[in-house]
Amino acid sequence: MSKPKVAIFDFACCEGCQLQIVNMEEDLLELISVVDPVEWREAMSDHRDGYDIAIVEGSITRHEDEERLQEIRSHAGMLIALGSCATTGGVNKLKNKFDLNDVKRCVYCDSAHLPHLNTALTKALDEVVKVDYKVHGCPINNKEFAYILRCILMGKKPFIPNYPVCVECKMKGNPCRYEYGEICLGPIIRAGCDAKCPSGGFWCYGCRGYVDNPNVNAAKEIMAQYHKTIDNLRGRMFLFGSKQEQTL
Amino acid sequence: MTKATNLRLDYDVTILPPKSFFQPQNETLLSFQRGKGYRSVIETEPFLLLGVHPYDMVAITQMDEIFSQGNGDVHYVSRRQNATIVVVDVENVSPDVFAGHMGTYKVEEGWDVLLTKVADQYLVESKTERGAALMSSLADVPDADQGWLEMRQLVWERNKGRLRRHELEAEPSTWPDLLEEAYDHPIWEEKAKLCFSCGSCNLVCPTCYCFDVRDEVHWDLVSGERFRVWDGCMLVNFAKVSGNLNFRKDEAARYRHRYYRKGKYVPSKIGGQIACVGCGRCITACVAKIANPVEVFNRLAGGR
Repeated sequence: MSKPKVAIFDFACCEGCQLQIVNMEEDLLELISVVDPVEWREAMSDHRDGYDIAIVEGSITRHEDEERLQEIRSHAGMLIALGSCATTGGVNKLKNKFDLNDVKRCVYCDSAHLPHLNTALTKALDEVVKVDYKVHGCPINNKEFAYILRCILMGKKPFIPNYPVCVECKMKGNPCRYEYGEICLGPIIRAGCDAKCPSGGFWCYGCRGYVDNPNVNAAKEIMAQYHKTIDNLRGRMFLFGSKQEQTL
Repeated sequence: MTKATNLRLDYDVTILPPKSFFQPQNETLLSFQRGKGYRSVIETEPFLLLGVHPYDMVAITQMDEIFSQGNGDVHYVSRRQNATIVVVDVENVSPDVFAGHMGTYKVEEGWDVLLTKVADQYLVESKTERGAALMSSLADVPDADQGWLEMRQLVWERNKGRLRRHELEAEPSTWPDLLEEAYDHPIWEEKAKLCFSCGSCNLVCPTCYCFDVRDEVHWDLVSGERFRVWDGCMLVNFAKVSGNLNFRKDEAARYRHRYYRKGKYVPSKIGGQIACVGCGRCITACVAKIANPVEVFNRLAGGR
């Protein structure tokens, strides 16, 4: 079997999800035993043309980015969105809550008028092109990435949880963050992270995005039970949940 | 642990029930080589479970029945055969327990050794050869006389009365009949409106045993493992089948199903025993506070 050619690209992001691939360390050797990386700016100095699978990190925040992504898509037989910025828009969607001119001025001050700093509303990859698979998380879990890739190479549909973080949190035997008087987004956020944040003593920030059909209404309804307001909940959803479907 | 006095047999309830010792959260069933075949994997060794509460012991005996029916589940059964269980009668009452209503505040079967705190000492009884072997290691321990046994009886009577944090008005024996008439009851829709489909009630339940089976391959894309993981009927994809069809796609249908499992379906498989032992973990674990079986069955008993 010839190894599929893989190219890794990045858009607006911190490139930390690619770094998680680099962090596979010894397993990188296993990775390149099954795929042939031809382009990967963060980890390779050489580059060859032509690829079967495009792995794309980051969100789309400029018109030029849309064109570049469409170009990538047109060459790729398969496109995998890597990490929150790519799968949901991630923290970059915070921008969409504000006036774009204010945002530019806030970030670039006196240089805000320069043409190369033009900005558009943030989009997740699938708002621009067809995405075949999503590797969720901020950052991704590199074990899940490896598993998804192996499934793809086998022609097998990977299992990507469509249940809330509570499932994995309960399995860890954690006391519920709500019992500590905190608002946790676990009940409406997609699992797959192994409940890392709640297990480490923090509420769920929602980095993997919502489950397919989150009960946002229930999340609102229960606030009173826990002596919280809907604004408290909204504040918690601001970071990763801004301007997504089903959000507050 | 370095000292016996550090052992907290007075705990009120554990977050997860002891089921993971018999049905691990992630359990390899077999390893395979594509195109070559497979080998069953049964990984178990003798172990001792110390300090199981009576309601959890009842749940284990129910699971023993479930997993040994038909062809039997060799993975469960071999783990169970390797287990020595020491039950301890409840000393402190947990926030949501209602075992006093469910007949599970004490337990007469399934254990090897039973510990009951009577006054400042533990009364120890063994029921099996394994239990007797454990007890034979206790040196210079006096036999309990009739007075001690009577005091233990009082502990049980007291527990029956105090393990009732929720007042159940619908006798457990009536649950199957109540459910017979309740399929279209409005409570299912009402409660399920607040359901996150997070499966917390399933995962913490000592009598929820459903699992999903999946395969994973290694990097050679040839060898791999088949494993099973805990699943739950409240999760949206639990009843999803090929063709992208889901025969319990609404929260209310899933919510109802869980109570039918506890009060009717599972009991019909295990000689009428109600598959809820009153540990109250689901009540505590549910973020939306909709998972209280006492509330549900009281409501069903009260009509619409």
